[in-house]
Amino acid sequence: MSDDTKLRVTGLRAGYGGRVVLEDVNLSVAAGEIRVVLGASGCGKSTLLKNIIGLERPLAGSISMLDTEVDWSAGNPPLALLQRMGVLFQGGALLSALTVGENVALPLRLHQPGLPADVVEALVRMKLTQVKLDGSYDKLPNELSGGMRKRAGLARAIVTDPELLFCDEPSAGLDPVTSRELDDLLLGLRDSLGITMVVVTHELDSIRAIADRLTFLSQGKVLYDGTWDEAQKSGPEEVKAFLARKSGTADLSGDPVPFHLEEI
Amino acid sequence: MTARNIALPEAITADWMSREHAGILAASAGGDLRLDCARLRRLDSLSLAWLAGLHAQMESAGKRLVLVGIDARLKSELAKATLPRKPGVSGGRDEMGNERNEKLAYRVGEAAHALGREVRDLFVLLSESLYWSSFGMFKKKTLLREDTVIQMVRLGSNALPIVLLLSTLIGFTLALQSGIQLEKFGATVFLASGIGISMVTEIGPVMTAVILAGRSGSAVTAEISTMVVQEEVGALHAMAANPIHFLVLPRFWAMSLTLPLLTVCSAVGGIAAGLVVGVFFFRLSPASYLNELKGAVTINFIGQALIKSLTFAWIIALVSIQKGLNVRGGADAVGKATTSCVVTCIFSIILADAVFSFIFYY
Repeated sequence: MSDDTKLRVTGLRAGYGGRVVLEDVNLSVAAGEIRVVLGASGCGKSTLLKNIIGLERPLAGSISMLDTEVDWSAGNPPLALLQRMGVLFQGGALLSALTVGENVALPLRLHQPGLPADVVEALVRMKLTQVKLDGSYDKLPNELSGGMRKRAGLARAIVTDPELLFCDEPSAGLDPVTSRELDDLLLGLRDSLGITMVVVTHELDSIRAIADRLTFLSQGKVLYDGTWDEAQKSGPEEVKAFLARKSGTADLSGDPVPFHLEEI
Repeated sequence: MTARNIALPEAITADWMSREHAGILAASAGGDLRLDCARLRRLDSLSLAWLAGLHAQMESAGKRLVLVGIDARLKSELAKATLPRKPGVSGGRDEMGNERNEKLAYRVGEAAHALGREVRDLFVLLSESLYWSSFGMFKKKTLLREDTVIQMVRLGSNALPIVLLLSTLIGFTLALQSGIQLEKFGATVFLASGIGISMVTEIGPVMTAVILAGRSGSAVTAEISTMVVQEEVGALHAMAANPIHFLVLPRFWAMSLTLPLLTVCSAVGGIAAGLVVGVFFFRLSPASYLNELKGAVTINFIGQALIKSLTFAWIIALVSIQKGLNVRGGADAVGKATTSCVVTCIFSIILADAVFSFIFYY
């Protein structure tokens, strides 16, 4: 793997139970790149993400990230690797029994148990300021709005300064302004910390704003891999239509009219 | 063969349909079904669905549905309409080529496989819990003491009132019923040994375990499965936090420590109720009751009770955690997992009790 490739997925096949959802998926993400994985609902975006971060086991294929071949099926998860990546889950996935501050501090407490408490607190407050949640240190997750929970989740994902950040639908269910703010946050993080990101989403405004490159999934396969502009010029019709907010393949007309019509 | 045209009204309403449907079907018995659409002015979803249904019926009988004299506007509406698709003819495969198999043998096999997997998962969880609370402790600080104390209070101590209340009531009933029988033989002095042995070896451990399965096991499953559904467990995993340390060990130890203690309380409550019954209903003296009790309930019985209650604690803790962690889906899955946890726990407790009775008998 070349030095500037942070994530490479080769020939991934994935599914649940006996059902195959993804087939022969290849993906390679360069350092500092924001890669958006997109596609219609049910195309396997989230499954791809779950397989990469080890929440599901691939049926075939290999995944390597940060110059390490990942084998999630081995007994113990590769701790060193997990410490170098962050994940922002769809709903933020904050532990509901802990305050926002404790949630954000969790990765630090786990990986650097020796850190003095005041350093941890300062670091957590810094990250909360970065995501504009200064006043929420002592709040419980259920006292926050959806957008705030996502931002708190983002603070937790970046508290260890990861090299690789995975985001599952960061702007889903947010109003346009909040979603725009979150996009700006992600861009800011990339520019200031050089974090490489893989973002799963289908929000076109978001994609337009943050994506360096797109990976378009359709029916479990990679249909297109490239930039937005190339996709608009020379991409497959389904991708073009998706980006132009048109329904590309979804055929709403049903079967052709089967009745026999007769004039009088 | 020219069949009669059946005239449709301006709009096909539900009322009209329920009146005319059977007649129209009967009229089509002879041959093609011809509907005169000259008066028809409106095609809504209901009419389209009805027409599509008639068409399918006609086609399967090898006949045709003919719409006569439909006007140009409706014709173009019809062309744009979304009619129900015919069910797929892809030979039992979905779009990714996965085979669907609904055969009975297949389902039985799948259920057996799932049961086997569940049992295996339980033993894996047990061995991991034991490893991380023994040898694993030297590798890493794994047992979160504070969390364990919180869980002990929530799962164990808070159950004390209900456990005491129920076992006292059962002790009372048991003593009264057996006292009446014993009195016939003038053997009321054996009341103490009967109540003592049954409360200590059977009713105490089993009752307490069943109460805790319903009260605390279900709470654990509901809590953990909600965490799974809200991706909190996934987040723990992604932070390289072993869910065993965070979720399993505190509950496992809380249950293992509190259930035997609750069992002792339950037995004491039952025996005390027996004492009250003996003194007030059967004129026994407290001293003779306690004396008889001392002779009957040996250290052997107490050991059996503790072994049983520890086993029951492990069953409840592991089953409830496992059911929670295995949940897939949404809110309905949480409910199902909780139900399944209580049923599995109570079944396993009673099964284990039967096995123990057999072992201790020999």
